[in-house]
Amino acid sequence: MLRSKLKPALAYLVLIVPSSLIILGFLWLLITSFSTRVEGLQSLGWTLNNWRFLWESPFGPQYPSIWTVTLNTLVMSLIMTLIVVVVSSLTGYALSRMKFPGRKGFLSLTLILHAFPSVTLLIPIYFVLLWIAKIPLIGRDVPLLGGFGYNTIGGVALVMVAFQLPFGIWIMKGFFDNISWDMERSALIDGASRFKVWWQIIMPNIKPGIAALSIFSFLTAWNAYLIPLTFTAGRAGKSAVLSLYLQNFISESVMTEWNAVAAVGLFQLVPVVLFFLFTQEALLNIYSGGKKGGV
Amino acid sequence: MKIALEALNKHFGKVKAVDNLDLEIGDGEFVALLGPSGCGKTTTLLMLAGIYKPTSGHICFDDRVVNHLLPKERNIGMVFQSYALYPHMTTFDNIAYPLKLKRVRRREIKERVQKSADMMGIGDLLDRKPAQLSGGQQQRVALARALVKEPAILLFDEPLSNLDAKLRLRMRGEIKRLQEDLGVTAVYVTHDQVEAMTMASRIALMNYGVLQTYGTPNQLYDHPDTFFVAGFIGAPPMNFLEMTFEERENGFYLKTQALEIRISAERGALAKQNDIPQRVIMGIRPESVSIVAERDGDFKAEVHLIEPLGREDLVTFRFIDEEIRVLVPAPFDGRIGETICLKLDKEKAHLFNPETEVSVLRTGNGRSS
Repeated sequence: MLRSKLKPALAYLVLIVPSSLIILGFLWLLITSFSTRVEGLQSLGWTLNNWRFLWESPFGPQYPSIWTVTLNTLVMSLIMTLIVVVVSSLTGYALSRMKFPGRKGFLSLTLILHAFPSVTLLIPIYFVLLWIAKIPLIGRDVPLLGGFGYNTIGGVALVMVAFQLPFGIWIMKGFFDNISWDMERSALIDGASRFKVWWQIIMPNIKPGIAALSIFSFLTAWNAYLIPLTFTAGRAGKSAVLSLYLQNFISESVMTEWNAVAAVGLFQLVPVVLFFLFTQEALLNIYSGGKKGGV
Repeated sequence: MKIALEALNKHFGKVKAVDNLDLEIGDGEFVALLGPSGCGKTTTLLMLAGIYKPTSGHICFDDRVVNHLLPKERNIGMVFQSYALYPHMTTFDNIAYPLKLKRVRRREIKERVQKSADMMGIGDLLDRKPAQLSGGQQQRVALARALVKEPAILLFDEPLSNLDAKLRLRMRGEIKRLQEDLGVTAVYVTHDQVEAMTMASRIALMNYGVLQTYGTPNQLYDHPDTFFVAGFIGAPPMNFLEMTFEERENGFYLKTQALEIRISAERGALAKQNDIPQRVIMGIRPESVSIVAERDGDFKAEVHLIEPLGREDLVTFRFIDEEIRVLVPAPFDGRIGETICLKLDKEKAHLFNPETEVSVLRTGNGRSS
């Protein structure tokens, strides 16, 4: 009797200790963002001043407002997620189902690319983006994205897509591999075209895979720092994203306003938390290895 | 619809999955493709379905070559071993899918789905998802989906392998009845000879991609053309003994160290005509050997193993270094170690050339007597 209660209690204990450490950190963040100063977790005076950046630009009008920056981040993350999901699911399907020369080579190559440290590629990619920027139309003057060249949202998204694709392709290939050939054959015999088989039969059955990849891609893009930093004109530019905006508050010349940093940090965190809340089930599905109750 | 396969080949790289297959299937016939796994039977079925393209040769439906037709243009229904239901659709949507793709009007879809679901006894499960159905029910949904478009040909790929023994027996009967009632041409792939024997009007036995024989279940059982057919068909399997063939003044004899039997002049002559070699393989089914009194026996053997099967007992006898299995009416009253006299039904013995593995008792039309 005691034993049966002891076991779950122990499990909870093991879970509570590390989670409380993390929660403590977030708690500090929350308290700090609403305080003038803090000592430990104790506020030495409450204020909304740190959240001023929401309605006015703290560094002057030449800097982009938080809302432009948020829109930039959102557009970049969505664009990247969309491209990664579409390209990965098409590529994954082909790699899982079709036999063509170079298939194995392609698969190992993507794996190597995935393992490749992206830092080493920053300089060559910089030159590529500079070159793209010179192409008329798509280089610079696309609304919302700016374009696909250097110092544009589209350009950053493009680089992120390139780094994310190997991972995406492998994930999607795995999900396609789990779908039996018979189901596809059955649909072909039932009268579906190849495209309809893919769209009406295969895609609905790899929804968990698509959900997984979307979440990972979106979060990767939302939190990206190195690539936006390298390929835009920096935190003051029109293409700045949230992680760069945060950098505005940390500078060498002026004293760092940690309370404001906490506020912006929390602001950047909100969509991520919301995202996790709504996609928790899908995420669990992925970790437990695909859907339950399939045929 | 009639089906004809002419010199059909399917190669995967260097592997000849189907090797020069000729087969004719009559309208409304139920043909089983039987063979061990990897013998090319499923590959043949998938070529009929249009999933695989033949490397060479022709597939004809009613004298029309259909090699180039897509699966959806062939008017076939297929049932898979894994059922291949669409897990994200309800039973209704699964069955309705072929009709929706044909753009049948919604009301007609509803009627036809209901009709074919009722026929399979799953009319009340239409709003369930496949994961909520038992194996037998999933099987019925798969059948209903294959039937709903009223196909000219039904293809089965080991549809009963995933069911338990009792359900398998029941579905066996149901599928056969259904096929007869609808009069639809059916091709049924299986590795289970009992399924093939009980359901099919003709059996095509394959091995290593080559058609071994094609005939009615009784022909295959009573007059196997080749050593492979003789050994594959029948459970418990046929006994084989290596023997020496001798022609003497008073008749034809088969000899081993332990026994000598005389075969009829007619069969001896036929064997001679087919160039019977001196060393032959004699095959005899367990039910063609009987226990007799000592003076009537062909040879003596020692009881080695007794396996009760209910209605009969399967007894393994040993003599010198050979073994022979015999079906005797239960209960068998002998004891292990006891020596008993056995007699072979010589008219039911089969003789095979060990080199070519072909029956030397075959008559002019290729069928052994």
